[in-house]
Amino acid sequence: MEYQAMLAWALPMGVGLAAVGSGLGLGRAVGSAMEAIGRQPEAAGKIQTAMIIGAALIEALTIYALVVFFILSGKIGS
Amino acid sequence: MGLEFIHRTLRTTGIVLLILFPFFLYYFGVWKALALFSGGVWGMLNLWFITLTVRAAIRPEGVDKPRTIALLLFKFPLLYVSGYFLLKISLFQPLWLLAGAFATVVIMILKALGRVLLHLDMDSTESRAKTSGVA
Repeated sequence: MEYQAMLAWALPMGVGLAAVGSGLGLGRAVGSAMEAIGRQPEAAGKIQTAMIIGAALIEALTIYALVVFFILSGKIGS
Repeated sequence: MGLEFIHRTLRTTGIVLLILFPFFLYYFGVWKALALFSGGVWGMLNLWFITLTVRAAIRPEGVDKPRTIALLLFKFPLLYVSGYFLLKISLFQPLWLLAGAFATVVIMILKALGRVLLHLDMDSTESRAKTSGVA
């Protein structure tokens, strides 16, 4: 398989895998946050903050994969 | 560590970006400095929308449906499409945009690290025991 064909196959796969991973991570985080708020409603503020930080970090990784896709997609077909 | 941590992170990121902008303008040129600044502003907006969405959707009183739907309708089409256009503009290099977008994350991690090292999130008794050397 040619280098460019491999790149064309691997780039969307990489972004897809990153999206699946971050989706699973966010799902777990939100589920746990809901459970924690249900158990201790008075700690909602702290749980929300931790949830926001976690969500931002998870989303940043997906954006990282997307930017790598954009950087390398210029090399396909050139 | 409450929600004011997020607000402080956003404020610090804005200040850092404003301080860095003239230096990047001088040393790297207009487009790289603008790319870094735009990426940083995009990252700040993204964190702000995540904060608003989490506060509207995950709370003890239940989901604030109209607010959550409005936020999601604004965040996904508008913010992500604007990010897409920033990436597609050939004048902006994606790496500089990425560096700007990661400024928020870096500042958040440094602030959290500072809080851990200074024991700012401990109870007062726990903190006193730590500083006096009593386990």
